[in-house]
Amino acid sequence: MSETYAVDVENVVKSFGTLKALDDVTLRVRRGEIYGLLGPNGAGKTTLIRSIVGLVAPESGTVTVLDHRMPDLDILGSVGYMTQAAALYPDLSVEENLRFFAAISGADSNVDEVLNLVELDQRRKSVVATLSGGLRQRCSLACALVHRPRLLLLDEPTVGVDPQLRVQFWDHFRDMAAAGTTIVVSSHVMDEAERCQRLGLIRFGKLLGEGSPDELRSAAGTNNLEEAFLKLSGRETE
Amino acid sequence: MSGHRIAAITSRILRQFRHDRRTLALLFVAPIVILSLLGYLIRGSASSPAVGIVNEDQGPLGAAIARSLEQSSKISAKTISASDGDAKLKDGSLVAYIVFPPDFSLLVTQQQMVAPEVHLEGSQPGTQVPVLQALQNALASLASAAPSAIKFQPTVSYLYGGRDLDQLDYFGAAFIGLILFFLVFVVTIVSFLRERSQGTLERLMASPLRRGEIVVGYMLGFTVLALVQAVEVLVFSLYVLRVHNQGNVLLIFGFETLMALSAVNLGIFLSMFARTEFQAVQFIPLVIVPQVLLSGILFPVSTESLPLQYISNVLPLTYAVNGLRDVMLKGADLTWPSLQLDAGVVAGFCVLVIVAGIATLRRRIA
Repeated sequence: MSETYAVDVENVVKSFGTLKALDDVTLRVRRGEIYGLLGPNGAGKTTLIRSIVGLVAPESGTVTVLDHRMPDLDILGSVGYMTQAAALYPDLSVEENLRFFAAISGADSNVDEVLNLVELDQRRKSVVATLSGGLRQRCSLACALVHRPRLLLLDEPTVGVDPQLRVQFWDHFRDMAAAGTTIVVSSHVMDEAERCQRLGLIRFGKLLGEGSPDELRSAAGTNNLEEAFLKLSGRETE
Repeated sequence: MSGHRIAAITSRILRQFRHDRRTLALLFVAPIVILSLLGYLIRGSASSPAVGIVNEDQGPLGAAIARSLEQSSKISAKTISASDGDAKLKDGSLVAYIVFPPDFSLLVTQQQMVAPEVHLEGSQPGTQVPVLQALQNALASLASAAPSAIKFQPTVSYLYGGRDLDQLDYFGAAFIGLILFFLVFVVTIVSFLRERSQGTLERLMASPLRRGEIVVGYMLGFTVLALVQAVEVLVFSLYVLRVHNQGNVLLIFGFETLMALSAVNLGIFLSMFARTEFQAVQFIPLVIVPQVLLSGILFPVSTESLPLQYISNVLPLTYAVNGLRDVMLKGADLTWPSLQLDAGVVAGFCVLVIVAGIATLRRRIA
């Protein structure tokens, strides 16, 4: 059954002190789809992504990634993870960062291809500390892609990215999904949500609704995804 | 200049400290810890240098002077047999022994020059002064009881090094290791924390890397740097500063390697207990300074008061310093049991911090 799912999160609970960061979350991501995690800041999106990649140990519930029950180090070689802030070595060049992350993932490097993809080919020798925020974000994405992951987890990848680059990023995501890569992407930007095949609405650590953008709109009885989100999440908190 | 704007900066700084309890505690606790250690070390030093007395005098004066020496507050003297002297200097239980020759009384009564033999261990500067002073005082007190003035000229001999050893030889041997340990520790702990604060550790943790691979990889990387530094320090000390070395240079290098490995892994281990580079630097007064004070670099462990000796004897730096001094000042090699102990303890500590570093590097937030 889990054959068709790239990510299978079952009844996951995680709290930090009195705060319930994840409150009985169950969601399944199909292979090759772009799944958007939509929710306001502090909703639990990052905690959910970190529990998928095995960095957060749930108090109860299970996480299965590409048929491997997490935590499982070996399957992480097939997972790409891009954190919210560009996590790079500032004193290394773009290319050196990429080669390092390729090497630790145990994958043969396809550094040149990834550099072309994010259009950093001209800047491959530049030290990361000298790059602008947008270029760093591109480099960070490249580091998450360099080992050709089968599952890509992107935590608000377009925060601080200009509109033009954001469009480019989403073009890449669509191409990769078409080529069979599963993508889980968190966002609080609605026009990005439109580009996902399915969405999970998260608030207060709960999954409040799930479905394609159209399904969510019709469930909320509105033509606007933003309204749908507010309506669906408001209904739960009343 | 606006007083208002200056006050804004001042009060902001004080507010920041109020939120950083740890720094606050350090600012007010560390000075007390360091000062009391220092005070206890200097004022509370229990034992004066241990000196043996060999009395071979056939007359009465040798025994009288031995009694006088035993009452001296400058040294703690006790009678030993002539054959034990050198062995006791070697194992460190004595810093010196004094031999009064068979004709001592005879020569004094004949008003001839007497020459008590003073055998010094010689590797620790500053120990010969109290010994010679005590001898002088004892002879002077004897002179007041003797029929006439005593003419004396002690013959001084050294087991190790000797007259040409200076303070730099004594401290240099220890500092070769200390500089390496300290700098490597600081660089490692700060880089490891940077890995945490710049978010790359999160990325490493989300990769197939094993914890042990991270720690060993780090260790090798920094050890390469540390060993290049070790060579530089060694060459500069031996050939530019001309610090005395009687032992095998490879042994010194071996000790430095062990200290570098310990420092790297101690840095990784302690970085788990700090969240920022700022907090990491605060480990220096807590981890490094007490070790420097207690490891015998400045004050020989044998002159510390007993409770402090217990602490000194569990600090790895004590053994490293001792080992380096034994090699450089005494020409020790690995057949010496004391050097085997020193090397063994430092190596054991090394393994301990590697295991501790791997064990505390947590992948998951439980």
